[in-house]
Amino acid sequence: MKMPPFKVLSPKSLDEALDMSKELSESGEDFDWIAGGTDLLPNYKWHINVKSHVISLSSIPELRELSETHIGAMVSVAELAGAGSTHPVLAKAANSIASVLIRKSGTVGGNICLDTRCYWINQSETWRESIDWCHKCDCGTGADCRVIPNQNTLCVATYQADLAPVLMCLDATIHLASPAGTRSLPLGEFFELDGMKRNILEKSELVTHITIPEDSSEWHGDYQKLRQRESWDFPEAGVAVLWRGGSSGAPENLRVATTGLESIPSLHSEEAEKAVSSWRGAETVEVLAESIRKAVKPVQNTWFSPSYRRKMVKVLTKRACRDLLVV
Amino acid sequence: MSKKKDKRSTTSDDEIIGYRQQPGKLPFSRPGSGGKNRFSESTNPEMIPSSQGGSLKQPWGPHRHDELVSGQIIGKPTALVDSSWKVTGRAHYGDDVRLPGELIGRIVRSPHHYARVLSIDCSQALELPGVIAIATGDDAKNRFGVLPVTKDEHAMAVEKVRHAGDLVACVAAVDESTAREAERLIQVEYEILEPTHDMRKGLEDSEEPIHDRGNYHIGESNIQKRVFQEFGDIDGMMQTSVASHKKSWLFAGVNHAFTEPHAVVADWDPTGRLTLYTPQQVPHYLHRALADVLEIPMHQINVHRTFVGGGFGGKSDPFPHEMCAAILARKCGRPVRITFDREEVYWVNRGRHPSRIEMNLHADKEGRICGIETDALIDGGAFASFGHVTTYYNGVLHTAPYEIGAFHYTGARVWTNKPASGAMRGHGAVNSRCAVEVGMDDLAENLGVDPITLRLANLLPPHSATITGFRVTSIGMRECLERVKKESGWDEKFRKQPLGKGIGIGCGFFISGSGLPIHWDPNKFPHATVHLKVDMDGGVTVHTGAADIGQGSDTVVAQSVAEVLGLPLDMIRIRSRDSDTSPVDLGSYSSRVTFMNANAAISAAMQIRDELLDATVEITGAERKGLVIGDRRIFLKSDPAVGVSYLEALHKAQEDRGALVSSGAYRTPPMGKTHKGAAAGLAPAYSFSAYVAEVTVDVETGQTKVDKVWAAHDCGKALNPLAVKGQIIGSCHMGMGQVLSEEMRYGRSGNLMNPDLLDYKIPSVHEMPEVVPIIVESNDPEGPFGAKEAGEGPLLPILPAVCNAVYDAVGVRTSELPMTPERVFKMIEKRCKSEGVSDPTDLECPSLEYSELQTILEKRSDEHKLRDRERRLDEERIDYYNGALFGLDPSTPPDEVDPRWEVRVTPDEEYLTSPRLAGSAWKHTERRHMEDSK
Repeated sequence: MKMPPFKVLSPKSLDEALDMSKELSESGEDFDWIAGGTDLLPNYKWHINVKSHVISLSSIPELRELSETHIGAMVSVAELAGAGSTHPVLAKAANSIASVLIRKSGTVGGNICLDTRCYWINQSETWRESIDWCHKCDCGTGADCRVIPNQNTLCVATYQADLAPVLMCLDATIHLASPAGTRSLPLGEFFELDGMKRNILEKSELVTHITIPEDSSEWHGDYQKLRQRESWDFPEAGVAVLWRGGSSGAPENLRVATTGLESIPSLHSEEAEKAVSSWRGAETVEVLAESIRKAVKPVQNTWFSPSYRRKMVKVLTKRACRDLLVV
Repeated sequence: MSKKKDKRSTTSDDEIIGYRQQPGKLPFSRPGSGGKNRFSESTNPEMIPSSQGGSLKQPWGPHRHDELVSGQIIGKPTALVDSSWKVTGRAHYGDDVRLPGELIGRIVRSPHHYARVLSIDCSQALELPGVIAIATGDDAKNRFGVLPVTKDEHAMAVEKVRHAGDLVACVAAVDESTAREAERLIQVEYEILEPTHDMRKGLEDSEEPIHDRGNYHIGESNIQKRVFQEFGDIDGMMQTSVASHKKSWLFAGVNHAFTEPHAVVADWDPTGRLTLYTPQQVPHYLHRALADVLEIPMHQINVHRTFVGGGFGGKSDPFPHEMCAAILARKCGRPVRITFDREEVYWVNRGRHPSRIEMNLHADKEGRICGIETDALIDGGAFASFGHVTTYYNGVLHTAPYEIGAFHYTGARVWTNKPASGAMRGHGAVNSRCAVEVGMDDLAENLGVDPITLRLANLLPPHSATITGFRVTSIGMRECLERVKKESGWDEKFRKQPLGKGIGIGCGFFISGSGLPIHWDPNKFPHATVHLKVDMDGGVTVHTGAADIGQGSDTVVAQSVAEVLGLPLDMIRIRSRDSDTSPVDLGSYSSRVTFMNANAAISAAMQIRDELLDATVEITGAERKGLVIGDRRIFLKSDPAVGVSYLEALHKAQEDRGALVSSGAYRTPPMGKTHKGAAAGLAPAYSFSAYVAEVTVDVETGQTKVDKVWAAHDCGKALNPLAVKGQIIGSCHMGMGQVLSEEMRYGRSGNLMNPDLLDYKIPSVHEMPEVVPIIVESNDPEGPFGAKEAGEGPLLPILPAVCNAVYDAVGVRTSELPMTPERVFKMIEKRCKSEGVSDPTDLECPSLEYSELQTILEKRSDEHKLRDRERRLDEERIDYYNGALFGLDPSTPPDEVDPRWEVRVTPDEEYLTSPRLAGSAWKHTERRHMEDSK
């Protein structure tokens, strides 16, 4: 299977990268950033939203910085998983991503910006032609959504990356850069519900790094993931639960975030706060798990059915809270 | 001749008495000449059968090939002879063939499930620079297909496309990008027809059946093949039954998912001959199909089989893309290469049929299996492929290893607008075997007996005939069951483990070579032929048409020749690639290669052996009867010092005539009954297997993990134990995929939703359990050195073993495969609901209390054990026909003496008033009969 031809640009610094992106934008050329390529290139092979240029970020040293509180966008998933400074829950999530080979190439930034996935889009061009295309890559036909027909406004493809929920629970901040300047915002505000756009990145804007608050080591928790196989497969559901305190009874703080269930990862603050304020141990965990199940709305576009994924979110939430109940 | 004798007599007749070899003093090559080692090694008595004076134990008695055993290589774990090519990356697979001036071919495929092709406009595409030729259905109108009775394929669509992905046209261009661009420019006008996706709908009349079989068309339906078979006492079965199992199964279709996608290179040489390079399991059938489609004689075609990156039945049809490459190359006058994307592999498919199987088993008060009723509707997709045979196999291949009182089978295969199903490892037997073995487990539960005991007390003895009339020779089923029972610690684990932990048993039975060659009368031509040529260098060139698809057929042929001639493996050279130089072989399917091809190789090697022995007699004057062959040396058994090296004997034999050549062939003995369909499932021998699987089921998520498998397989004789173990472990992996995660999933639009290896869930290394392969050697009387198949049979038992283990763990029985976590969870939920349990972790484990039948069955199984041992060692044994367990005379076929046991192959009026699902196929009248009645 051949990719359509495209030009690769390899800037040596962030400034150069931004200049290149500006130049391309001004000359009306379309482009993608490419980090590890493990997500982008398969899509290119399938001729999904292929651009004429890609700007490779692999030779930009400033994007590779890694410390307890700072994770550069170009840090590979394997590096993150293997570094001693990484928060253990984050390391666990990182270690569960795809396969060894993909973790070596795939990057943190790439994982955060992972394209949303759907049975009806992640297919070859010939295949998509045979269903008359779909909303996300309609090839100019104005095609309808194949998952939920007759709603031509939103793409419901699923966000299936593992790092985001853990980082959201750690209250991570994402830092972006564009020719117009830089901006930073809580990770939870980075994502956009519409799977077409999927995040707030503007044209020519990229993720430079993620920062984690200094108190992260005080947070404990777990990440649980549902999938058919223990390798390769994207999460069909993922639940991160992190808490502070609670070694004797109620946790002081509790955060719950999910992934693989909707077109964005979600932080379930309301449900978590409610649990903390009315803490009654195992009983509360049961109520919390049930409320998370109710809060998510998966659709039929991945391997498992939505009803099973919802039921499993409950099980995963309970399992992620297991250490919280050990006194 | 006389001159030679004279020459010898003039040398030193009176000086040497007998002939004593004295290295260095005689003008002959050194002992042990030939091979990598200088000197021949002395014979290891552990490799020589006891019947030949060695110490190799043969608990199943002597074998007709015993005297050919030289102790060289048979039974030793041996690396495959082509393995160094593969591990060094020098093996050339289909897509590695690069010919000068090659063009790239691409196939234009239908986006519609079912449509009439109204017109194809190639003019724009032909104007694109770099496009050399385009072909359409008009370029090749002749039909082909792997079975001569069901040729229903064209190179490209003629009139209609029958599934999304069906071939419409093909294009050859200077590179892939140009070919893809040209693909887009070809304008095809379709008239869309109403597609059939559900196999049940295929049974109904249709306005536009997917194919038209003319006079032989069944009604106006999409039924391609239907089978009705009744053996034994069907009425009695219902009367005597005290326990029954009934289940309606749904099996998803699965794909072979071999590593190498299909690829082909076609090249017409300047003399007008075609060479086609392709990874094929059946080069000969392709050879025939090419001649039909291209309308040239077969001798103008050379089919070159490249290395094959996995087949499993998925490369055992002549394929339309192979025709396309040949047609394009002829048009262009340049070589054309076509390589598939993974998605195209799913479109050509030929995987296991999606099936709906109703399986009913009945047991009487003595714990005998008094009846099996099977109804199998199988979804053939758009083409016939091997489906004619598959329809039979779904029934007849579960009439053993158990002795049964009655067998009712209705089967039907329908065309639907999906990629074609075909033959896949365990062809036709896998799904219904799973249903039978799960049924046996359930019957044991109903009867209150141990499932292994139930099986042991109902086995057919060796050298018997099944209810369908299949002649069964060696049977190692009992040993398989006993071994896995012991090694798995069955008695300590079964129904004794905590919730979520389970253990299960499953058995298997498979053909070792199909008795009927597809294209000809077995009495006229042999199934397999092997040629040998031995020239002065001493190396043996073996010409065989058997297709090595990674299973090791080259190795087994090399081993057989090496064993008979007493040579190391490095002196054997296999030439098996080109149809120009290879004798015709039917191909690598139905687990026939080891049995048939090795037998042919042995008979060819025996001729060379005879000539070598004659030469030795001539040189040494020793008595021929006492001569044996050891490692590169032929000597007198009673006085090993009397002998010659292999090369000496060879050069003697070559005097006056040069290279020795020989040809050996194998054909099956006459077998079986005469009813319609009697030949389907007939084989010269059958393999048997029993597996125990241990699983952990997460009751909250339904996730099943197979922890360990004990896998016993009766392969007759492990010619290469390393390869047999590899086949067993590989089979476990493949079968585990089907039982737990693999499925070809069709979406609501009828499209295949997962034509890629991310969403088609092959188990990864994390899912793979430890497999303990146990080889059982029943020493088949007709197998080469006693061997039977080990490539397909080992797949069968893993499916039911896992299903039964899941029941043992959580008390739920599936009727749908694959058992994805989702499906297991649903069953657990259902069980919780019906038992009023809110938390699945509070469920109770299934338990089993033995009834008094248990001791009866144990006693019977002990008696049968003795019976079986006697039968296998007794050369004068009387016949044994299925039915003896039910009180009939064992020595006559019951259908010949008991009218109740008569064979019926068409349903009567009464059955048709309320047929089962597949049985309803018989409600239609074939067109030719409709005309009769007019």
